[in-house]
Amino acid sequence: MSRYLPSSYRMQMLLLMAAYLGLVLLGLPLAKNSSSLPLKAILTLVPLLPMFGALWLIARQIMRSDELRQRVHLVALSVATGVVSALSLAGGFLAATHVVDLDGDVLIWVMPALGLVYGVTQWVVGRRYGGLGCN
Amino acid sequence: MKNRLRELRDRHAWSQGDLADQLDVSRQTVNAIETGKYDPSLPLAFRIARLFRMNIESIFEPGKE
Repeated sequence: MSRYLPSSYRMQMLLLMAAYLGLVLLGLPLAKNSSSLPLKAILTLVPLLPMFGALWLIARQIMRSDELRQRVHLVALSVATGVVSALSLAGGFLAATHVVDLDGDVLIWVMPALGLVYGVTQWVVGRRYGGLGCN
Repeated sequence: MKNRLRELRDRHAWSQGDLADQLDVSRQTVNAIETGKYDPSLPLAFRIARLFRMNIESIFEPGKE
């Protein structure tokens, strides 16, 4: 099937994640030490560029998938959204009533949590259809 | 839904990958259809019927409701 090339997708994703990690490790310390507010904001947000690239790559991959894989992606995304939303709501209520002490940094974990639940659900649902491989 | 996809594929000596390429789906989708774990959409069912030069009802049998 020519519509999907797992090796190129994985390589592109790997490069984007490497860029993201590099920009986080380099950019955030520079941003913290910067006295210029516009420069601080730019350095803080620049890691989002490879992240948006990764999201575009995932969207393209889903659009190129066949009907069964698209169904699995849909279920996985729905479950991930529901679970992470519920956890965020719970965390918000707990923080609002001062049961736990949360600051804004916790929001950084929303996207990784979405990715984790999405990946696990994709694997579980894929098994229901006899295993959909690693793509 | 029961189907004769595997039987028809064997008749042509096609692998699941061969059939998947011709239907423009993944091999795993062909496997899921053959094992009854997934019912294809109507467009895909028509593509399958057209490929084997049969009508849909000859290939797919509705399950008990």
